[in-house]
Order: sequence, then structure tokens, then C-alpha cells
Amino acid sequence: MKKKVYSITFGGIGGQGILKASEICAWAALYAGFHVKKSEVHGMAQRGGSVESHVRFGRNVSSPLISVGGADFLVCFHHDEHERLKSFLANEEGDLIEYLDKTKDVIDDPRCLNTCLVGVLSTKLPIKQDCWIKAIETVFKKKVVAINKKVFLNGRKMVQS
Amino acid sequence: MVKKTPTKKVLLSGNEAIAYGAYEAGLSVACAYPGTPSTEILETLARFSQIDAQWSVNEKVAFEVAVAAAISGKRSLFACKHVGLNVAMDPLMTSSYTGISAGFVIVVCDDPGMHSSQNEQDTRWVSIYSKLPMLEPSSPAEAKDFIKEAFKISEKFDTPVLFRMTTRVSHTKEDMALGRREVPKQPPFQRNIPKYVMVPGNARVRHVFVEKRLEKLKALAERTRLNKIESGSKKLGFITSSVAYQYVREVYPDASYLKLGMTYPFCDEKIRKFAKSVGKLYVIEELDPFLEEHVKTLGIKATAKDPSFRTGELDSTCISAVIKGKAKREKKMATRKPRLCPGCPHWSTFAALKKLDLYVAGDIGCYTLACLPPMSSLHSCLCMGAGVTFNEGWHKGAPRKKIVGVIGDSTFVHSGITGLINSAYNKAKGVILILDNSTTAMTGGQQHPATGLTIRNEPTKKLILEDLCRSCGADNVDVIDPKNLAEFTELVKKRVGEDALSVIISRHPCKLLKR
Repeated sequence: MKKKVYSITFGGIGGQGILKASEICAWAALYAGFHVKKSEVHGMAQRGGSVESHVRFGRNVSSPLISVGGADFLVCFHHDEHERLKSFLANEEGDLIEYLDKTKDVIDDPRCLNTCLVGVLSTKLPIKQDCWIKAIETVFKKKVVAINKKVFLNGRKMVQS
Repeated sequence: MVKKTPTKKVLLSGNEAIAYGAYEAGLSVACAYPGTPSTEILETLARFSQIDAQWSVNEKVAFEVAVAAAISGKRSLFACKHVGLNVAMDPLMTSSYTGISAGFVIVVCDDPGMHSSQNEQDTRWVSIYSKLPMLEPSSPAEAKDFIKEAFKISEKFDTPVLFRMTTRVSHTKEDMALGRREVPKQPPFQRNIPKYVMVPGNARVRHVFVEKRLEKLKALAERTRLNKIESGSKKLGFITSSVAYQYVREVYPDASYLKLGMTYPFCDEKIRKFAKSVGKLYVIEELDPFLEEHVKTLGIKATAKDPSFRTGELDSTCISAVIKGKAKREKKMATRKPRLCPGCPHWSTFAALKKLDLYVAGDIGCYTLACLPPMSSLHSCLCMGAGVTFNEGWHKGAPRKKIVGVIGDSTFVHSGITGLINSAYNKAKGVILILDNSTTAMTGGQQHPATGLTIRNEPTKKLILEDLCRSCGADNVDVIDPKNLAEFTELVKKRVGEDALSVIISRHPCKLLKR
């Protein structure tokens, strides 16, 4: 039987921190010992255009891109982009869109939206909390690590409570 | 610098992997002009103090400096995007004849799907045309491994090596281990007129060498581990390369593969052997039928993609349609289009040009986005530098129209200067607007000669654009901030009405500039 590969699609518009969110996820998977591939598009997408990033991890990952109908989870940062990206989902339980509006209750700074949604996502994946924390320490500049850890944990609590 | 994990594994993009791999291989000199999807290679290399890294004026210059460094005895690298290689084709073609001394690798990043490019050319054809070997990694981790192999091949066979990436390999990130830097012994710098002076008498001799080298490289292609047979089910076999390999592997994990990491010269014997070993044979590749056509010339029966799939990227979703020989079905998913940033100085510039109802010859940069609604006020984009030359050419067919050319500051230095000299020399008229936002904005804000800073943000001699334009022969050179919209509009209107060759430097820094 084929070994499980986890596939997560991140999507939103330029400037929302989508690439950072997928970066945290990819590093966390790396720290957990998985083979990881993360795909992203630079260039024109940075000018406020649609941005999507795919993260896949498991024992052995081939394609860096997720097939239509192949995503275990979809993390959207914008409702418009959700319409476009939901075809990636394998099943509806993997859709984390319900958390997009809820994040407003737990974060003050919209710049932390990405880390908060990663907190939500983290509860659904076979990666331990310390790997996530290490990933946050890796991808953020020192002065914002503390705030991002806090937001991440608040994101986790949204699901667990 | 990337932080190391306890297992020494790091997450690197394909472009970063090339930089780290080349660093470990003892790379000393690296040159490039920025261009998506290749830019991060030099940005990463510039972080290593042992490497002499530079943003060059353009790709031709970058190529020449790098290949000369290799001839002088230092392992060197030139990086560019696919269309950037066109600019460097002149030195590239003859460097195949001269060969090198220390290793020299030409990294070229193709852009299937045109994420940020003006065409979708397939650089694999350059390997045939130039008679140079080509390596093609299928993933970032492979890129790091293959780049070391590229330097070895370069030195062993006295040849520049083409190293082809695609956007998807360049911008995918993968976990991989870091190694130690090992600098090979430097060969001596020598005068060698027959090898390095390509006058006809010497070049004839070198062409014979090139043909012999190609035969030796063919033998290498047959035995190298880069061209790997992966045996699985004998019913189904795939000949494939680059990221297409990963997409097919995803869908058919149990099939047999001939995975080509060295796509040129072709490994004919390996291809024949593999073809015989499998029932049904497919050739799967992105863009042009490069492998497909060659396999067919060997008299081998193989199935390849429908020609409609020669445009755009492949992915694992479309592989089953490709295998069945079906035509491509365009997915129409509306995406949010890129646009100029809020507060971008180009908004003001193009507001004026639109108001004056001008014909605007465009160029390559953020300002190319002015072709999109609501502005729709940029009317050509062909290649780097053509904003200047199109102004001249358009005036020939439409002398009474109100025509201007626009070009960015970095693009002007890249290849606009020669066009301006040409216009002055040939008594052309018109207005060239240099949209000077004091950076190479489109690719994320790189330095260039007119910013006065190097790739490492160190101060250097600063090119003064207004002095340069006067020297080129412009009758008028004005410098103005486009945010003073009324004044700016008035100036453009005045200059367009004159019988002169004028340059207006529209100067306001990019909003994203970190200073």
C-alpha cells in the first residue's frame, strides 16, 4: 500500500503571509522527520495577485503540486480565493474556511492571521507541538517570535476548546 | 543564512539549493542579471563571503565575466532566466569552442506557464544548437547534487555545462542535508592563443574539438548515474525528465522509468534498452517535443502528449489525460490579477500618459502592468530595451502620431542605452521616459549601477542617468517627480510637441524600497 502523503493547500492574495504560513508548515514537517516538498510561485503574484502554496509531506513525496481533489486540508486567507481553490479538497472535513472569520476574535493584528490559521491546521496533522514551535522560531525574525508563538497557541485552542 | 537543524537538514528552494551546492563545490565567481524565476540564485550566493558575486549590467556581460573567470582558473557560474539566455547567446555559442579551464556552469531557469515572463521558450534546444551538455534536475535536492556533477563534467570535458531549471523546480522547497565546502586546486592562468583567440584559423580547429567532445559526452550520457533506469512494472514504461518525472511518478508509482538527468547529448543505447524492456512506452515532458522527437528518430514506437499540452505546465492532475492522448482542456479559474502597488509612482506617470492619449512603447518591468485596465496605456512589450527602439521604429510608420517610449531605470541600463545612442545617431525624434524608481522592482528590488550600491549593498560608483543620456545625444534631458502630476503632464505634453529627441527621467523611489 502506498504510504500516506499529507497534502495542504494554502491560498489567499499577495501580502497576506501565505508563503510564511506554508513555510512554517514545511519546517515543522521537516523537524518531525518527514520528506517535504513545498511549492510556491514568486514574481507577478507578489503584486496583490492570487497566491497559493502547496505543502506535501510523508515518507516519500513525488509531485510538488497537489492534484485537484488531492488536498487533505485547505487553508484559505480570503473568501474569494476559497471559491477558486475548494476543488483541491479531497473531502469537506479538510476545509478550514470556518476558522477564517473566527480568527478575528483571537488576534488583534491582521498580520498574525497566517500564524493563527497554522495553529488551527496544526491540530489536524501528525506533527508534535514542539516541532511547530521550532518551525516558528526558524522562520520568523527574533523580535516577532514571541507574539507568533502566542498567536499559534491561540489558534490551536480555537479547535481544541 | 539558513539555520541548521540538529539533523543538519534544511529546507531550501531549488534556486537556494543551486547556491549551496555550488558553494560546497568550491564556486568562486558568480554573475547574473535579476530575472524571475532565477533571481534567488545570486541573492543566496552573495551571502557567502568566499564567493565573488555580482549583479551584472545584463546577461551578456554577466556571461562574459563569468566565463573569463573560469578561463582564468576559478570555478564560475552564470545564472539567468530563459529569455536572459537569449541576451547571452553570442558569447555562449563561441564559448562552446574555447572551452574553459576551471569549471563553468550556465544555469538557466525556464518558465513553463509564464508565471512572470514574456514567452515560454524551451531552452533544451540550446543544448543541440550550441553542442553543450545539459543537466536537468527534477527536484531541489537533486539540483544541489547535480550542480556538483556539472562542475566535474565541465572540467573533465573542457566545456561549459548548461543546467536547466524550470519555475517549479526553482521555487519548490525541499528538505536536504548541507555539506562542507571543498575548493579544488586552481589550474594556472595561461596564454593559449589557439584555444582562446577565435579567429577563423583557430576556430576551425576548435570546431573539430567540439565535435569530438560531443562524442565523448554521448559516451558519458550512456554511463552516467544522472540517466537512471528505475525498474518497476514491465507493462508500463516512461521516458521523462525534470519536474514532469515527479508528476508521472505521483500517478504511476509502480511503473518503470528512464529518468533523464542529463538530457543532452541523448543516451541512445540506454533509450533503446529501456524501450525494449517495457510493454507500453510513453515519453512525458513539459513544453516542446524535445525528447519525443529524438526517441522517434531512433525508430522507437512511443506515445507522447497531445500537441495542445505543449503550452503551459503539466501537473499530476493532467497526467492521466496526457497518457490517454487527450487534448488539453483549459481550466478557467478566475484568479486575481497582479496590479501596481498602492502609492506606486507609475500610477502618476501613466495617468499623465493616458490623459495625453499617447502611443506608449513599453518595456519589461512592473510598469508593463500599465497595459491592464483601468489604465490600458502601454501598447507594446517585446523584450528588454525595446521601449527605446520601438519609439524610433514606430515613428517611421506613424510620423504624425504622438509616440513615447517608456523604460525602467534598471532596464535602461540593461539594454536601453544602445537604443538611445542609435536614435541620436540616426536623427530620430521622440520622447523616452525613464521610469526611475531606483531599483529593479519587478524581481523584488535588486541593486543596479544607477543605485550606486552592489549586490551586497556596499557603496560603489554610481551611474548618473542624466549625464549618460546627454552623452548619448539626447537634445533635452529633464528630471521630474511624477507625483507632481500637473507639472509632469505639462512637461510631457511640451516635449512630445517638439521636433527633438528628449529624455524625461520620471524619478520617484519604489514604495517597497527598504532604505
